[in-house]
Amino acid sequence: MKVKHVCIFALITSLYACNTSNSEVTENVVPEHAQNIEDGDIKHNEKPSEIKTDEKREGIFSYYVGSFEAKKMDDTKSPMLQNKINIALDSMANGVLFGHSVVAGNIRTFRGPVVVKDNNYLAECKEPGDNKYDGVFTFTLNTNDETLRGMWTSNDKKLAVSERFYNLKKTDFKYDPSLALESTYGEVYNSYNAKTEEHEQITDDAGKINASQTELSKKDVENMYKRDLEIMRNAIYARHGYSFKNRKMRYFFDTQVPWYIPVSTDITDGLTELETKNIELIKRYEKHAESYYDVYGR
Amino acid sequence: MMISFSIAKNKVKYSLLVLFCAYTYFLWLMLKITIQYFPVNNDVAFLSIKQDYVGMLHYRIAFFIHVFSAIFVLLAGYSQFSERLRMKRLNLHRLLGWFYVIVTVLLAGPSGLIIGIYANGGLSSRIAFCLLAILWIGFTVLAVIKSIKKQMSSHRAWMIRSFALALSAITLRAWKFILVALFHPKPMDVYQIVAWLGWTLNLVIAELIILNKLRS
Repeated sequence: MKVKHVCIFALITSLYACNTSNSEVTENVVPEHAQNIEDGDIKHNEKPSEIKTDEKREGIFSYYVGSFEAKKMDDTKSPMLQNKINIALDSMANGVLFGHSVVAGNIRTFRGPVVVKDNNYLAECKEPGDNKYDGVFTFTLNTNDETLRGMWTSNDKKLAVSERFYNLKKTDFKYDPSLALESTYGEVYNSYNAKTEEHEQITDDAGKINASQTELSKKDVENMYKRDLEIMRNAIYARHGYSFKNRKMRYFFDTQVPWYIPVSTDITDGLTELETKNIELIKRYEKHAESYYDVYGR
Repeated sequence: MMISFSIAKNKVKYSLLVLFCAYTYFLWLMLKITIQYFPVNNDVAFLSIKQDYVGMLHYRIAFFIHVFSAIFVLLAGYSQFSERLRMKRLNLHRLLGWFYVIVTVLLAGPSGLIIGIYANGGLSSRIAFCLLAILWIGFTVLAVIKSIKKQMSSHRAWMIRSFALALSAITLRAWKFILVALFHPKPMDVYQIVAWLGWTLNLVIAELIILNKLRS
């Protein structure tokens, strides 16, 4: 059984090698993504363009979302133990699977040979390799329970995290302004205070109003902590599937918000007029809190 | 007897020096707050969260009059409570006194009352700031009347009260700084507290000083 499996894998790998050398033109490489995106300051995005498939299996082409967990890491480099990842399977052609991953504000395409065995798709997909954080995804997609499980290993073994594992669920994404922050508890990333032995906590205020649905007034935001304002504003981006580069926001949305799916690194075009207006107001109060909350003055 | 007297005198000198330095430091802080708005800027510091009102001409006029005039009344702290100046150069005391009165009663006070109507923090802090402005103007006018009537101890008492309220510019901000550092309250919660704490406690202290002066 196993031998057969390996044989098929080898066959397809060689086929793939042939295929690519013959048809370089069909290659679809996404340019490296902009590196320094702060949340809110959303920049240019390159979406992987459509690839023509001759072997479309509509059912599997979807988002697979879940936790991307560190397995091998270097503790001295402050590794992120857990990120939410979206592995999107886009197309398949000649035994080659094409897809892209969205994690930590980074969209990377991948491709590689895939073997279909009963309900399982076994794939080994490589990212282009021109980004510091590129690596190889090895996973099994089970079409029965619609899960995608596997490993990722980085090309550069000196990264903070060089190996991660994941167990993802097939998930559909649709912008839904009614999605609310149900639990707004949780500590602010990297906010540990050695003196008080406490982390800063997000409070209920962060989720009490849905800024994608309700027009905010000054009264709604003037008595809020900066950290809560930040969550309230970034929840708007999260509803649109914004993948956070900013660690503080990522830590909160990746771990505390079940409905959150990272889909894109540029969601500015999708923002509604109401959201844009609210974002402006919240930002004003964030900025004021940042500059004046704890200084001598009003 | 002589020795203990001179030690006491030195102590007084020393504490006056400390007071002088501390007061100058706070004036410096106030000056830094004032120059944020110069040249006239409608979207900076405090005004950045007053955008609902900045559009109103009377608010803008009142705000900038308040910001650019109020700092001058604090200068009275250096001169007007000095016994030596009053004894030796009464005319200067009067001149600077009138300057304080005019700035307070015609500029800083009424403009404070107008912006107090639109204060942050709801009805509670609006009442606090308006009451502060009214009492400040009132105490100052009373002090002038007493002075004209040559009722000098009354004049002194009302001026101490007036200046205690003027000092709320410094104490309100100091309370805010302390409360935030200690308890990390929400921004408008602390604002509502200091709107009252910032000047009521000053009045209590003023009364204690007046009582103390009457006794001696």
